[in-house]
Amino acid sequence: MSELYTRNFCIIAHVDHGKTTLSDRLLQQTNTVSDRVLTAQHLDSMDLEKERGITIKSHPVTMHYKAKDGITYKLNLMDTPGHVDFSYEVSRSLAACEGALLLIDAAQGVEAQTVANAHLAFAQKLKVIPVINKIDLPSANLEMCIKQLEDILTIPEEEVILASGKSGIGITDILEAVISRIPPPRWTEYKQPRCLVFDSIYDSYRGVIAYVRMFSGTIKAGDMMLLMSTGQKAEVKEVGIFMPKMEKIASLGPGDVGYIVSSIKEPSDIKTGDTITLANKAATEMLPGYKEVRPMVFCGLYPIDSNDYEKLKAALGRLRLNDSAFVYSSESSVALGFGFRCGFLGLLHMEIIQERIRREHDVDIISTYPSVIYKVKTYAGELMEVDNPVNLPDAGIIEQISEPTIKASIHIPNDSMGDILAMIMEKRGTVDHTDTLDANRVMLTCALPLNEILVDFNDRLKSVTHGYGSMDYEPGEYRVSDLVKMEILVNGDPVDAFASIVHRDKADGRGREFCERLAKIIPPQMFKVAIQAAIGGKVIARDNVKEMRKDVTAKCYGGDISRKRKLLDKQKEGKKKMKQFGKVSIPSDAFIQVLKNQ
Amino acid sequence: MTDLGQDKHRSGPPGLKPLDQGIYVHVPFCSSTCDFCAFYQIKPTAGAVDQFLKGIEAEAELIPWRGPISTVFWGGGTPGLLSPDDLDRLAKIIRKKTVIQPIEWSIELAPAWVTKARLEVLRDNGINRISMGIQSFSDELLDGLGRQHTPKQVYKAYELIREMGFKNVNVDMMFALPGQTEAEWLKDLEEAIALKPDHISTYCLTFEEDTALWIKLSEGRVKLDPEHEAKLYEATWEKLHKEGYQQYEVSNFAKPGFECRHNLSTWKMQEWIGLGPSAASQHDGMRGVNPADLALWSQQLNAGKRMQEDRRVLTADLLLEDSLIFGLRVNQGVDLAQARIRFPDANWTFVEAKLSTLESEGLLKISSEVVRLTNKGRLLADSVGTELLGLGSD
Ligand SMILES: Nc1nc2c(ncn2[C@@H]2O[C@H](COP(=O)(O)OP(=O)(O)O)[C@@H](O)[C@H]2O)c(=O)[nH]1
Ligand code: SF4
Repeated sequence: MSELYTRNFCIIAHVDHGKTTLSDRLLQQTNTVSDRVLTAQHLDSMDLEKERGITIKSHPVTMHYKAKDGITYKLNLMDTPGHVDFSYEVSRSLAACEGALLLIDAAQGVEAQTVANAHLAFAQKLKVIPVINKIDLPSANLEMCIKQLEDILTIPEEEVILASGKSGIGITDILEAVISRIPPPRWTEYKQPRCLVFDSIYDSYRGVIAYVRMFSGTIKAGDMMLLMSTGQKAEVKEVGIFMPKMEKIASLGPGDVGYIVSSIKEPSDIKTGDTITLANKAATEMLPGYKEVRPMVFCGLYPIDSNDYEKLKAALGRLRLNDSAFVYSSESSVALGFGFRCGFLGLLHMEIIQERIRREHDVDIISTYPSVIYKVKTYAGELMEVDNPVNLPDAGIIEQISEPTIKASIHIPNDSMGDILAMIMEKRGTVDHTDTLDANRVMLTCALPLNEILVDFNDRLKSVTHGYGSMDYEPGEYRVSDLVKMEILVNGDPVDAFASIVHRDKADGRGREFCERLAKIIPPQMFKVAIQAAIGGKVIARDNVKEMRKDVTAKCYGGDISRKRKLLDKQKEGKKKMKQFGKVSIPSDAFIQVLKNQ
Repeated sequence: MTDLGQDKHRSGPPGLKPLDQGIYVHVPFCSSTCDFCAFYQIKPTAGAVDQFLKGIEAEAELIPWRGPISTVFWGGGTPGLLSPDDLDRLAKIIRKKTVIQPIEWSIELAPAWVTKARLEVLRDNGINRISMGIQSFSDELLDGLGRQHTPKQVYKAYELIREMGFKNVNVDMMFALPGQTEAEWLKDLEEAIALKPDHISTYCLTFEEDTALWIKLSEGRVKLDPEHEAKLYEATWEKLHKEGYQQYEVSNFAKPGFECRHNLSTWKMQEWIGLGPSAASQHDGMRGVNPADLALWSQQLNAGKRMQEDRRVLTADLLLEDSLIFGLRVNQGVDLAQARIRFPDANWTFVEAKLSTLESEGLLKISSEVVRLTNKGRLLADSVGTELLGLGSD
């Protein structure tokens, strides 16, 4: 089949706008999966993703569709991760396509993330097909959606397809538009074979399986392939496509979307965005857009039970196999013992990995306060990168510290403007410009220090805007800032896991708030315990843990002695499970609670 | 056979005050179950009572009796619901083993069961201390606990007890009942004081596992409020002190000379022999608990065996540890000089280090070799106990 009859596309949509439902409809309509197999949500395969309504791992699928012109087309539908943390992955998935369906919930309208991803698609020169979905909803507001598409994305009304994944409205229109509007595969005439790696997974039997989009030439089993970013060579063992299960085929040709199994066993050797060519016909230029993905957010992860160290290590190793954006190395903490320093693309990525460790790998962990990478310059002219507050050198030798910022676009209802501006101010952000989206909504483009949005920004945005606000961001520049290390002392001893780097102006408030919360979370103690926040040894805030008032059994006689001893033993065991700081016992989950919702 | 002669086991090293030896009888019968009750108790059918009395007799025969018995305590359950004849039968079994009149012989009586006939039998057999469970004078609060008497019955019973010449009477009261305010409790307590008992026990309501109350707690129908409980404790201590009742243990108060000798002996880790299902013993170098099951307990005894659970050898370390954990509940404190004589081989280094940490935290005070809890420490006696664990643990 000629590549002229191939179309590669993806679906851009905000969470819950109906991408999964629509994808399933497309698979159904093209008989790619039978109705029976199509139990639920084929493309989102991981539980966690389902729960959170996001897609992390792209999973492509090949469909065959007999169009109205009588020709059977090969349609490759790519799935795109649905969260800002994974915008690089999104951009690679987009790069593997020529077109995109831009899905908009008829009742919700355009969201920040949709706009951001649409812009990414435009930048990749993809043909964008606007689809207003869920038109069966009584609350559907077609007029608003059409106006937003025109105003915000300059998409003309005539291009809009009305659909409902649920009722099956507009499915054929969508398939026909994919064929008529999206161009056939590009860059097929390039002389040497080139394919784009847009994802990879690890299989314990077959090693690393690369998900690829072939642009030019063919690749088949037995070929010697070459990874252009590193020059590493490997033998191709198998190639195939997704039907939607992996199916071996003889060779991948121009325009095909499929997978390559090679002799590569080490997941980090295959990088998303890399170009694969053949060793004996090597291309000289990589496909555009490759980037080294670097983690932006760091934290320490520790097993709650120190006996679980090896189990945690194994869990991290396995997670890394399928997620090369996640990095870790061992570290130790006075407070928490032996654990790992871990790096993530963003907060959601961090939460997901933590959740997986707990749920899928059954290790109870606790995490330290998240940090970003600070660039530190000393008076001696030394430059260093610090991702752990504990490693920040003595304030006396630091000439300056700079911190990463982000460029964020925030969509909000007009009436929450005041609150959001105040919040941006509070978070040390600046608003570059304000655009009106429609009669009710505005888009703020602003710069914010990454460390300020680490924990609660998104949650607060949602709550202030009653769920209507949304945000998208991309990394910005590093900026010099007046940052200090704030330590937390429990009963006079610094607890390294609680150390953080904060802006000097915010240290007092943060310190006070932290002490107050920690004092509340630590269970009442038998004696007075002070919680203090300090900068460079100077206490800036303090609070006291509640003193235990009553812990005494009322009735205790001869017959109760054995039982009573057992109770005390149990109480003692419970205490042993807590982390001991001098004479203060802190339950492990107190760390989680206090580190959460900072 | 009773042996009154000098017994090797009972004569300690020089300088050690002689230890008391007591008998505890668990009478496991109740007509209904109180919401907070975690004791072993069953319905008093004629067959069960007979089985019980036969068992006590058999069990008493299996005990290697040594030395005099200073105290006897009949608890339960509701010992007072036994018929006068059965009470007499039980007393005779015990008297056969005590030989001389014990210094103190207590029985727990529920107001509803107090009759002249019973009191006569008790008095004539040498029972000289009555402990009556009142808990509260509020009908409403009593109902809330599933208790089976009225304030009127309490007054009647108390009067009768005094009329019959009992000179040592305790009343049990209970506080921190669900919904009870401090003022309500103090009013309750005043009514108890107005009876002029010789001894008052005040118990903070405890949520024992597997009780009806525990279920209410876990369902969130009642709530724990340690701060409120602490306040009630303090108010109780203050009130009773003013009224001339000396606190001598966390929950126990007495007019001078009326402290319960039997219970003091257990807190001081002396010796007692427990008879009856679920009764605990500590004598002969061993600690153990009878099975909490009338059928199993009596079946073993019929076979000529005394079966016990949780048996432990009384090592010096274990006894020292418990002398502290339980002894510190007593206001008089723990006499370290005596303890050093009694347990010369225990790990004193450990104990001294622990005690001095706790002292530095203001939980206890050591002066002239006597350790006492401070008021703060008394409210935290369990936490203090937890800190002191470590010597005798398995
Ligand atoms: N009324 C209506 N509901 C829909 C439609 N498509 C999806 N939904 C519902 O919208 C929610 C989100 O759908 P899903 O496909 O999981 O969205 P995704 O998060 O974008 O993948 C689910 O509760 C769907 O049942 C539609 O066309 N009409
Ligand atoms: S009377 Fe005593 S033993 Fe009987 S149920 Fe009530 S609390 Fe329990």
